[in-house]
Amino acid sequence: MKFAERFAGLIGVVLFLGLWEIAARFGWRNPAIMPAPSQAVWMALATIPPLTLIEHVAISLWRILAGFALGASAGVALGIAAGWYRPVALISRPFVEILRPIPPLAWIPIAIVWFGLGEPSKIFVIFLGTFFPVFTSATRGMASIHPSILRAARTMDVDGVRLLAKVAVPAAMPDIATGLRIGFGLGFGVLVAAELIAAGRGMGHLVMEARQLGQLGISVFGIFLIGLVNLVADQQLAAAIRRTVGRWHRF
Amino acid sequence: MAAAIEIGGLAKNFVNDAGPPVLGAVDLTIAENEFVVLLGRSGCGKTTLLNIVAGLEQPSAGIVRVDGAPVTGPGAGKGMVFQQGALFPWLTARRNIEFAAVNRGVASEAAGKLADELLALVGLAGSEHKFPFELSGGMQQRVAIARALALDPKILLMDEPFGALDEITRNEMQDELLRVWAQRRKTVVFVTHSIWEGLILADRVLVMAPRPGRFVLERRIDLPRPRRRSDPTLVALYDEIWTCLRGEP
Amino acid sequence: MRSRLAEWLVPIGALALFLALWEFAAAAGWLRPIQFPPPSKLARTAVTLAFDGFPEGITLWVHAGITIQRILAGHILAVALAVPLGLLTGSRPLLDQMTAPIVAFCRSVATLSLLPLAIVWFGTGEGAKIFLIGYGCFWVMFSSSIAAVKLVDPVLIRAARTMDADEKTIFRQVILPASLPRLLSGARVALGVGFMVIVGAEMIGTIRGLGSLIMEARTFYRTDITMVGMLCIGAFGLCVMFALARIEAWLVPWQAKQEAQQQ
Ligand SMILES: Nc1ncnc2c1ncn2[C@@H]1O[C@H](COP(=O)(O)OP(=O)(O)OP(=O)(O)O)[C@@H](O)[C@H]1O
Ligand SMILES: [Mg+2]
Repeated sequence: MKFAERFAGLIGVVLFLGLWEIAARFGWRNPAIMPAPSQAVWMALATIPPLTLIEHVAISLWRILAGFALGASAGVALGIAAGWYRPVALISRPFVEILRPIPPLAWIPIAIVWFGLGEPSKIFVIFLGTFFPVFTSATRGMASIHPSILRAARTMDVDGVRLLAKVAVPAAMPDIATGLRIGFGLGFGVLVAAELIAAGRGMGHLVMEARQLGQLGISVFGIFLIGLVNLVADQQLAAAIRRTVGRWHRF
Repeated sequence: MAAAIEIGGLAKNFVNDAGPPVLGAVDLTIAENEFVVLLGRSGCGKTTLLNIVAGLEQPSAGIVRVDGAPVTGPGAGKGMVFQQGALFPWLTARRNIEFAAVNRGVASEAAGKLADELLALVGLAGSEHKFPFELSGGMQQRVAIARALALDPKILLMDEPFGALDEITRNEMQDELLRVWAQRRKTVVFVTHSIWEGLILADRVLVMAPRPGRFVLERRIDLPRPRRRSDPTLVALYDEIWTCLRGEP
Repeated sequence: MRSRLAEWLVPIGALALFLALWEFAAAAGWLRPIQFPPPSKLARTAVTLAFDGFPEGITLWVHAGITIQRILAGHILAVALAVPLGLLTGSRPLLDQMTAPIVAFCRSVATLSLLPLAIVWFGTGEGAKIFLIGYGCFWVMFSSSIAAVKLVDPVLIRAARTMDADEKTIFRQVILPASLPRLLSGARVALGVGFMVIVGAEMIGTIRGLGSLIMEARTFYRTDITMVGMLCIGAFGLCVMFALARIEAWLVPWQAKQEAQQQ
C-alpha cells in the first residue's frame, strides 16, 4: 500500500517532468521563455561554480535559521507568558492586534530603514514572519489546556511556576509545534522575498540575478532549489515534531 | 468512628452567576473509610461540592474540615479522579503516577517502585510505558485511580470517574474499584449520575437537588459486597431514589 | 465588574502610554525622525495620504483599490481553476497519489521566487502580479479542495446510496455541500496568501498599490508614509478577512454553529 502510493507519486513526477520537457523542447522551442527542466539544470551546473551554489544555499539557510530561531523563541516565550499571566496578555494585546495583520513582507522597507541593507534587516523580517504565527499558536495552546489537567496537577500540590513549567507548557506543546511549522513556512517565504528585493547573495538573489542576465534556465533551477530546500527543511521539522510531541499526541 | 470530612453550612455562589446559590448551606459528616456516593441530576452542584472539598475552589460561606483541620487549598492528603482527560498526555502511564509520587516528596527511585506496585494493583502491569492516547478509556481511568493513590491520600474524591465508559467496562471498573478500596482503605466521596453505580458501591448514598444545591435523600446501605442488582433491598432503594430524582422540577 | 473594565482599560492604557513615550522621545530628539517619525506626524501623514496621496495624486484609496483588485483577480482565477481540479483529484485516489508530491513541491516553492518567470511571460504589468497571486492561491486552494473531498464523511455517502441516489446526485447533493465548509476556509487561507504575495510583488516595478507605496516612500526617505501604509495594509487585510468570515457564516450556517458549540 505504502509502496504503491510512493510508486504512483514517482510516476506522477516523472510524467510531469517529461511532459514539461517535451512541451519546452518541441512546443516553445525557446529556452529564454520556457526552458526544459534538463536545460535548466544543465545551464546552472555549467555556469555556476559549485562553491558559489553552495554559498547561495548556505547563506539562505543561515538567514532562515537565525530568523526562525529568534522568532520562534520569542514567540514561544511571549505566547506562553501571555497565555498564563493575565497582565501580559492585556498589555501585549493592542500591539499584537495592530501588528499581526501586517503581512511580513510589508516590513521589508521599514526593516531597511531601521537596519540598513545588511543581514540584520533580513533576519528581522524573517523573525517577524515566524514570531506571529508562533505567538498565536502558543497563546491558543495555553488557552485550550483542559481545565482538569491543571486541577489534577493542583491536587498534587503543584502550583506557581512549577505548574507552568511542568504541566501547562507541555500541555500546550502540540499547538506550539503546529505554530512552529507554520512559522517556518512563512519565514521561508519571507526569506526568499527579502533576498529577491534586496540582497547580493542567497537563493532568492540567484533567481533574480539570472533573469537580469537573461538566463531563465538558471532562474528555473533556482526555483527548483528553493522548493527542494524548503520541502526538506519542513520535513525535517515535521519529523522532529513526530519524534517528540508526536509520540504522545495525534496531530 | 472519627469524622474524616466535616462540612458545615457550606454555601457557594459564583461571581458571574445571578441565580439561586449553587450550594446553599450544606452540612455533611463523613466517617473515616466510609464510601459515600453523591447522586443528582446535571448541574446540581456535585462537582462544585467536590472541588471545594478538594480545595480547588473557595466556598462563599461555611467550612470544610478534613481530619479536623480546615481545608485551605488543594493537595495534602486529598486525591482526586476526574471524569476524563486529566491524565498528562505527555507522560507514560508509569510517569504519570511517578509525577504524583515525586510531588508528594517520594524519592524518584521509590516513586518508580511505587508506580509499578500501583499499576499492578489496578491491573495494568505491562502497560506502564504506554502514553494515555494508547490506552482505552477504562485503562486511562485505572491509571488515574493509581495516580490519585500515589499521593497516598486519606480521602479519595472521584468525580464521575466512570461516566465516559461503556456499561460493560463500567461494571468491571466498579468491581475493580471495590477490590482496590478493600486493599487500601480510604474515605471515598464518589459522584455519579448512575443510580445503580451508587447502589453497588456506596456505604451511604446522598441525593442532591439543584439551586440551591442541597441533600434531599440519604440512605445507608449495609449490604455486604459484592452486591447483586437483583437484591430486593437495592431494587426498592432504586425505586425510591428514582422517584426522588424524578420528582424534582 | 472591575475586571471587565480592566479588560479594556489596560490594553488601551498600554497603547496610549507607548504612543506618549514615543512622541516624547521623538520630541526630545532621542529618536531619529527618519527612523521613528512621531505618532503625531503619522496622524498628519495619514490625513495627507487619504486626501492628497503619494506619489502626488494617487491617494491611499486608489492604492488600496488597485491592490485589492489585483488580489481578487488572482484569487478568483485560482479558485475557479483549483476547485474543480481539486474536487476531481480528491475523488480519484490514483490521481491524488500521483499528484501528491508535485503538490507538496509546488507549495514549497516560495511564490515570489517565480517573479522572474512571471516577468518574462507577462511583462512587468498587471499580468505578472496576478499570475503570482494566482500561483500562491492556487496551490493552497487545490490542496484544500483535495482534502475537502477526501474528508467527506463516508457515512453521508452511504446514507445517500441507501436512498437510491445516483453518482451525479451524490456528488451534487452530498459531496459538494459536505465539502463546502473546507472549501470556504481554504478560500480564506488562500486570500491571506494572496495578501502576503501582493505586497512583495508590488515592491518591484510599479508605483501603484499599497506595496509600492511603502517601498517608494522609503526611497524618498518618507518613513512616515511607509509606516502609515503598513498599518493600512494590516487594516485592509483585517477588513477583507472579516468580510469573508461573515460570508462564510452566511453560506454555511451549520458549520458556524458547530464551531460555536465546540468553543
Ligand atoms: N465557574 C463557574 N462559574 C459560574 N457558574 C458555575 C461555574 N461552575 C459551575 N457553575 C454552575 O454551578 C452549577 C453546578 O455546577 P456543577 O458543575 O457543580 O454541577 P454538577 O452537579 O457537577 O453537574 P454535572 O453532573 O453536569 O457535572 C451549574 O448550574 C453551573 O452552571
Ligand atoms: Mg460535574
